[in-house]
Amino acid sequence: MTRGAGIGRVSPRFGVFVVALATLGACGGGGSGGASGGPSYVQGSDVPATDADAACFLTQSTFGPTHDDIDLLRFIGYAAWFDDQRAKSVSKERPYVNALDAAGKSLSQNHRMQIWWDNALTGDDQLRQRVAWALSQIFVISDQHSSLSGDVKGLCEYYDILARDAFGNYRKLLEDVTLSPQMGMYLNMLRNEKADPAYNIRPDENYAREILQLFSIGLVQLAVDGTPLLDGLGATIPTYDQSVVEGFAATFTGWTFADAKNWWDWEGSTKPMVNWPDYHETAAKVILNSVVVPAGQTGEQDLALALDTIFAHPNVGPFFSKLLIQRLVTSNPTPAYVGRVASVFDDDGTGERGDLFEVVKAILMDDEARNGHLTMPATFGKVKEPIVRQTQLWRALDAKAKSGKYKVYWPDYYFGQAPLRSPTVFNFYSSTFSPPGDLADNGLAAPELQIATHSLIALGTNEFYDLVFWGNSDNTNDDADTVEIDLKPLKPLAVDPTALVDELGLLLMAGDMSSAMHQVLVDHVAATPITDGGTQRVLEAVYLIVTSPEGAVQK
Amino acid sequence: MKTSNSFSRRRFLRYGGSTASLAMLAQLTALQRTVSAAPAGGYRALVCVYLYGGNDAFNLIVPTSNAQYTTYATSRQGLAVPLAQLLPITPATSTGVNYGLHPSVPELQTLFGDQKLAIVANLGSLVAPLTKTEYESGAVERPPQLFSHSDQGDQWMIGGAVSQIQKIGWCGKVGENLASLNPGSVMSMNISLDGSNTMQMGATKAPYNLGANGPTELSGFWGSQGALRKQAFDALRNQAQTNKLSQGFADVMNESIAIEATISAALASGPTIMTPFPSSWLGEQLSMVARMISVQSAVGQTRQIFFVGKGGFDTHGNQNAEQPALYADISQCLGAFQAAMEELGSDADVTLFTASEFGRTLSSNAQGTDHGWGAHHLVLGGAVGGGDLYGTMPDLALDGPDDIGGGRMIPTTSVEQYAATLATWFGVAPGDLATLFPHIGNFASPTLGFV
Repeated sequence: MTRGAGIGRVSPRFGVFVVALATLGACGGGGSGGASGGPSYVQGSDVPATDADAACFLTQSTFGPTHDDIDLLRFIGYAAWFDDQRAKSVSKERPYVNALDAAGKSLSQNHRMQIWWDNALTGDDQLRQRVAWALSQIFVISDQHSSLSGDVKGLCEYYDILARDAFGNYRKLLEDVTLSPQMGMYLNMLRNEKADPAYNIRPDENYAREILQLFSIGLVQLAVDGTPLLDGLGATIPTYDQSVVEGFAATFTGWTFADAKNWWDWEGSTKPMVNWPDYHETAAKVILNSVVVPAGQTGEQDLALALDTIFAHPNVGPFFSKLLIQRLVTSNPTPAYVGRVASVFDDDGTGERGDLFEVVKAILMDDEARNGHLTMPATFGKVKEPIVRQTQLWRALDAKAKSGKYKVYWPDYYFGQAPLRSPTVFNFYSSTFSPPGDLADNGLAAPELQIATHSLIALGTNEFYDLVFWGNSDNTNDDADTVEIDLKPLKPLAVDPTALVDELGLLLMAGDMSSAMHQVLVDHVAATPITDGGTQRVLEAVYLIVTSPEGAVQK
Repeated sequence: MKTSNSFSRRRFLRYGGSTASLAMLAQLTALQRTVSAAPAGGYRALVCVYLYGGNDAFNLIVPTSNAQYTTYATSRQGLAVPLAQLLPITPATSTGVNYGLHPSVPELQTLFGDQKLAIVANLGSLVAPLTKTEYESGAVERPPQLFSHSDQGDQWMIGGAVSQIQKIGWCGKVGENLASLNPGSVMSMNISLDGSNTMQMGATKAPYNLGANGPTELSGFWGSQGALRKQAFDALRNQAQTNKLSQGFADVMNESIAIEATISAALASGPTIMTPFPSSWLGEQLSMVARMISVQSAVGQTRQIFFVGKGGFDTHGNQNAEQPALYADISQCLGAFQAAMEELGSDADVTLFTASEFGRTLSSNAQGTDHGWGAHHLVLGGAVGGGDLYGTMPDLALDGPDDIGGGRMIPTTSVEQYAATLATWFGVAPGDLATLFPHIGNFASPTLGFV
C-alpha cells in the first residue's frame, strides 16, 4: 500500500492561514496564525502525520476531503478542528425554500434536492452536515410517502432539525423528531387518537413500534459492546413485546398540527405538533421495562415520561452508536469499538448521557477509526454510499455549474439513494445486509452493497462516466447547469502520470491505493495521448478511480 | 356475534391441514398436476409478487353470507367494504359460505371465474399449528418478533419462522437445489426486478438484478481510447482485492457485465408482446418478466424464479383512500400478466403467487390498520387449481377463537406449506422439502394442492 503525499499549492479559502502556516513553519511553530478579516487558527499538537492521514479522517467526517481542509486539519489538529466545526453556523435548507416560496415559486422536491447538494458540497459545517446525513438514514422519513411528496418545506424543516440537533443531546433529538409533524405524518402519530371501543378503534401502533425498533433500542437486549445478551438457552432476549407497543401507542395519542382549528384539519404546519386533551388517552399505560405511565397525566407529561424511559434503556448507547459508526467509519466495528463509543454515549465524562457531539468525536477519534485500515485491512471500512462517492468527487475537484446551482434531482434512479427518499422507514439498506460468498461466510456486513445490485452498479458506473467525461471544465458543449469538475489544477500534472495518480489517490482514496491498482492507472495514463494539454489523461484517471472496486470503498 | 359452526376452522377444509386422508389426496392431486402440466425437461417459472408493508387481505376477500358478513362488518366498522359493492365469486368447493372480492379487482374476479386464480386462506409465519389457547399459554412456540416488518418479511422470505443472521431465502434454496436444471448458466436461477431481497438469496449466490427496462450496458468504451480505457477498467475490476468489501463490489460488477450481453441479445431477438401492461411500477416489472419468459430458450435456463415488488401496503393511515388503488393495480397487472402468458402459450409453465410480511388488524386506529399476522394470498396460472379457496378461513370476530387481540388473526396455514407447494410444482423432490423448510414436518400436510 502506498499513501501518496499531497502536492503543494495555494489554498484559496484559507489563504490567510496558509500564509500563517508558511511563516510558522519557517520559525518552528507556536503562536497564532491569521490576520484581520480571516479566521484565526492556532497551531495544534494533535495533528495528522501526513496528508493521507488527514484525508482518511476527512473522508469519514465530511462529504469529502479537499486540500484546504487537509491543510487546515494538519495545522490546527483534531481537537481544534472538532471545536471549529461545532462553532460553525448551521447550513439550513428552510431559508432557501422559504425565499423561493416568498418569490412566488411553486416548490417541488427538486428545490429541496438542490439545497441539499449545495449544503453537502459547500457548507463549511461539514461535520454537522455529514452527521445529519447519517441521522437521516436512522430517523427516516421519505418524500416517497403520499403525505410528504408535496411537503417540501416540511421535509426541509425536518432535515434542519437533524442538522441543528446533530451536536446536541440524543434526548432532545428524539423529542424533536417525535414532535415533527412530518414524522407524525410518516409514521402516523399525527392525529393518533385514544381508543373508541364502540367502533373497535384503538391507538395507532406505527410510531410506537418503529421508535423502539429503529430509532432507539432495537429488537433484542444488548451488552454495552452491542453484542446480543443471551438467555440460559442461548437465545436472544426481546427488548419488548406487543403489549409494550400498545402501551406506547396509547401514550402517544392526542397530537396534531400546531394551529389546527379542528382535530381533523389538515393544516400542513412545520411547527412541532401539539396535544389535544380530548384525544389523549388518560388511563394508565404500561410501557418499556414495566414503567407505568400514571393515569390522568397530560399528553405532554406522558410524552416526556415515554421518551425518558426509552432514553434510559441501556440499549440506546450500543444500538445507536453502532448505527452511527456504520454510517461514518466502518460496516463491521469490533465490539470493543462499539463499547468504547457506547460508554461515551452513557457518560461523556461530565455525567451527561446522550451527548452527541462527544459521541461523534469518540467515533472518529477511536484508534479503530484512525488505524483500522492498517490493523484490519481485509475487513475494515465501508462501501461508500454512492451519493457520498459523488460528493467526494465534486468536493475534491471543486465542481461547479456556471449557473451556480446543483440541479441533481433523481440520484435514486441510478444510485438507489437520495436524501429523505428511502423506499421505507428501514432505509436504503439494512445495517446487517451481507451478500452470499466471502462476506457472509465471514459474518461481515456490507449494508451499502444492498443497493449495489447488478442493475444499479451498471447505472451508477455510467452516471460517473457522465459526471466525469461530460461534467468537466473543458467541455464546451454543456449548458450552464452542468456541474463541472475543475480540471485546471490537475492538467499540469498530466505530464507526470505518477504525480497525477498520487494526487487523485490522495483526494479520492485517502492515499490508500494498492500498488497493483497504482500501476494499472499509471500505465493507462501514460498510454493516453497528451495532445490536449492533459485533459484526457486527467479524465481517464478520475473515471477509473471512482468506478474501481478500491475507489468504491472507504477505508 | 358468534359465527355459525359451518364457518369454524375444523369444518371448512380443503387440503388444509388436519386430516391425513385429505393431506394424501392433496399430494396426489399435486402429483397429477405435475405430471400433466409440463413434461420433464420443460420450462417452468415462478413469479413472486411481493406486497411490501403487509397487505390487508381481509378487505380483498370478504365473506358475503349474512352471518359471516355481519361478523366482518362488526369487526371492521368504518373499514368494511359495503356488501353490495363486493364482486361475487363461486369457489368450486362449497363450504356453505359465500365470498366476494373488493370492488377494485374485476380482473381477479374474472380470473377466479375462469379457474386460473386460486385463493389460499389466512397464511402466516408459524412454527407449528397454533390455537389461541396455545398462543396465550406459550405451550406452542411462537415465531420470533411477531408484527415487525423486517422480521416477519424475512420469515416469509426464508420460508420458516426462524431468525437468521445470514439470511437465505426459500427461493434461493430452491435455486441451489435445482441448479442442475440450468447447466452452465452464469446467471442465478433467481432474477429480481425489484432490487435486493431475502427470498431469492442463496447460500452461495445472490439473485440477478434486472432493471425493469432490461439490463444496462456500460457506456463509454467505444473508439480506440475507449478500448484502451476498457482494458484498464477490466484490469481493475479483475484484480484480487485485499479488502473483502472491495471484492464484494467487484463481484457484483463482474457478474453484471458478464450477464448483460446475453440478456440484452436475447431480449433484442424476442417477440413483441401485444398484451398491454399497466404503466405502474408493478406493470413495468411484470412486463419485463413476460419478455424474459418469451426469450427463455435464448437465455438458456429451464427454471427461473422472478421477483417483483410493490410498496404502499402499510396502510396505518388513510386506508380507505389508498386501498382501492393498491388493489386495482394488483388486479390490472395480474390480469395483464396472465393474458401475456396465454399469448405466449406459456401459461401452464408459469405460476405467479403473492407474498407479504403479514396481514393487518381487523380493528382500526381510526385512519387505517396496524400490523397483524395471517392474511389471504393469490396464486395465478394455467397449472393452478383455480376458482377455489384453499386452507381455512379464520373467524373474523374480534376476541374470537382466531384473534389474539385487535383482530390479529392466528394463521391457519403456514407460509412453509404454501412455499413447499410451489417448490414441489417447480421440481423440488418431496424428500427435499424438509431440508428447505425447517418446520414442515410440524404440519399434517406439507403441501396444499393448489398447483
